[in-house]
Amino acid sequence: MPRFSRTGLVLAMLFSAATALGQQDEPLVLDPGLSFDPSVDFGFDDDIFAAAFDEEEQSATEAWFEDFTIRISQSTSGQMNNHSIDLGAFGKFPKPADLETNRLQFNVRYQNPIAPGWLIQGSMWYRVYWNQDYEYTTNQDSIDTEGQLNDLFIQRSSGAHSFKLGRQTVVWGETVGNSVLDIINNSEFRDFTIIDIEDARLSQAMLVWDFFSTDNSSSLSTFVNLYPEFNPAPVRGSPLFFDPGFNLPDYSRDGKILLEAGTQWKKSFEGSDIAVMAAYLYENQLRYDPPLPGSADARPDINDFLLLGFSANRAIGKLLLNFDMAFSHNILADSFAFPGTSSLSTPVNLRKDQVGTSFGFEYAIDNEKNVSLGIQAQTLLDAEEGLQPGQTLTNDGVFGSWLVRYSNAMRNGDLTLSATLQGDLAAESLLVFLGVDYTLDDNWSLSSQFISITAKSGSFLTVFDEDIRLGMTLTYSF
Amino acid sequence: MNLRSLFIVTAVFISLLGNLASAQEMTGLEIMELVEENQRATSDSAFNRMQLSTCRFGIKESRITCAERPRIKSLESVGKNFGDDGKDTKSVTIVLEPAAERGVGMLSYAYDDTQRDNETWLYLSALGRVKRIASGNSDDDSEPASVFGSEFTTEDTDTGKLEEYEIRVLEEATEGGREVWKIELIPNAERARKSRYSKTINYVDKERFIVLRVEMFDQYDNEIKRLLASRVELVNGTWMARSLTMMNLVSNRLSNMAFLEIHTDIAVEDEFLTTRTLTDVAFRETELEKLRQQVD
Repeated sequence: MPRFSRTGLVLAMLFSAATALGQQDEPLVLDPGLSFDPSVDFGFDDDIFAAAFDEEEQSATEAWFEDFTIRISQSTSGQMNNHSIDLGAFGKFPKPADLETNRLQFNVRYQNPIAPGWLIQGSMWYRVYWNQDYEYTTNQDSIDTEGQLNDLFIQRSSGAHSFKLGRQTVVWGETVGNSVLDIINNSEFRDFTIIDIEDARLSQAMLVWDFFSTDNSSSLSTFVNLYPEFNPAPVRGSPLFFDPGFNLPDYSRDGKILLEAGTQWKKSFEGSDIAVMAAYLYENQLRYDPPLPGSADARPDINDFLLLGFSANRAIGKLLLNFDMAFSHNILADSFAFPGTSSLSTPVNLRKDQVGTSFGFEYAIDNEKNVSLGIQAQTLLDAEEGLQPGQTLTNDGVFGSWLVRYSNAMRNGDLTLSATLQGDLAAESLLVFLGVDYTLDDNWSLSSQFISITAKSGSFLTVFDEDIRLGMTLTYSF
Repeated sequence: MNLRSLFIVTAVFISLLGNLASAQEMTGLEIMELVEENQRATSDSAFNRMQLSTCRFGIKESRITCAERPRIKSLESVGKNFGDDGKDTKSVTIVLEPAAERGVGMLSYAYDDTQRDNETWLYLSALGRVKRIASGNSDDDSEPASVFGSEFTTEDTDTGKLEEYEIRVLEEATEGGREVWKIELIPNAERARKSRYSKTINYVDKERFIVLRVEMFDQYDNEIKRLLASRVELVNGTWMARSLTMMNLVSNRLSNMAFLEIHTDIAVEDEFLTTRTLTDVAFRETELEKLRQQVD
């Protein structure tokens, strides 16, 4: 079956039920003789809501448990298209349909204002990898488990000051999804169950001090990252892992103390917010040099650089304009634009200055429909300087990515259809994401995803060309 | 999703005590002006806890009921009026339940001046920051904004700008055992361009000055939504309906807004109604605790 007809079939299956659920009828004509019993307030049977007015005595256990939010989800996804990958001179390789993830995940979030002005917050996840999950396969075909601590910090707020110490995230920039300023925390794109930076961001150990002006219309936020971490290498066996023939180890500090620091001043005006920022950072993506003779491990390199940034937004009715700008001094050339795809070293090892911008808009079509566009573009200054004759940069000229998102919430938000298109500015790759989220009740929700990737030969996503992924997740929250 | 509406919708159904003799002589406009005047008083310095329930409804034995288990949101909100005449409102609302949305916070600045766009900020933990949103709830926008994804919209709840309506008392009637005026509001040409309705008919309790029922019609004179008020109680010296149900007769879905706790005339610090409240949870909880102590 041709790929696109199959895609159409999948799309039809995915959205037909959703569309049926979201359909509306002609206005209901209420019978004029519809009785309204005054004893139950106009006959509307709001007894079903009456429990809300009942005073409930809560046990100590319930009150204690209120600080927790727990989400349990079972997700399954896979690459569904039998096809082959054309790697040019390296030939064609078959890529059969395959189940990639089959896992149960527990997310726990804890937030407790332990005393006036004090807060403890934490979050973590724990996964069980079932049969056919790539982690299961990597674990020699046996069930594997894994846990990870995300946030864990204590906060003290007093007067105009707020201090947060512990694992947390710092987000800069206005453009959602692909801001050039959203680089304070590292991230992990292990597989295609996560394609949004919001979900991939990893917490780091920091001290954050926020100072608010008297009327809170402006603030100064300063952070010190006490233990900078780097993007984890792709997990062996995951869809994003490609065996380079050697290991990709974490960076070894060998007693070396690394620190990052930055500050942001933000000011709100009517209809607009602006911010300026500066930071001393390490690039989140490690650079690997080939292993030394006799070693199976590549040698990770780190690189520190300076960042100066500016961000702004402007709301005009239902339109919100976003703008970010970043100047990076002394970064390694040839950083890749697509997140999660860079691990291997490139032959060019120069440090250069870079200017980047991300901008876009969000537009509320109506109560239910929203559309947003974000474009990220970067360029190296004096790109040719220092290159050997015949040597070229992978990121030559203006490079970057674009992102379009559309969502339509129906049935009072219980049913949401969403579409995301993501590509690079060179038009070498296109990722299409379609999602349906259905909230069954206050606890249960069901989501399904369709992901299609198209990539030109030689592009970063070449090995995912013609991939079609389907996934489904059932979640219970309480 | 303007939080002002949460307070406004409360106020719409507040009755006015006293002066009943003169009320007999009132025109429709005068009645609605008094309602509007009262609503500002009740939305000022307010601290409320609400439950918003939404479901698909059906009619069984001439009674309206949910045809499915309703989806429930618990909200806590704080609001305060600003501006020269106290006609601007700043409010913040935090979602307590459901668990999937717990901690979601929204800050809204609603301006009475039609030349100023309302402002809304949202805090989503997934985004990790406060985000200004394109809410599109200014008076210049034709599409009214939904209140937290419910069947309530800003237009349903905002009774201001009465000069943009032709208002008349249709008749005196009985509604739910109470004597009411049926008051018709027809928007003028300018207002009609911004409105989803060609007219509304309001049933106002003659004794307690509460709107007990509102019927909303489209341009083809079809009734497309109906609001029912119930659990009328004397709260802080004023009558109000603590249970409001908005039925959408097109989608056959309804939303019920239950005011579980209503507190007015409390001291709200201006600094609380800022974006800091959304991000600084320690600050927010400390300030909320101060408010709770005022009402306990």
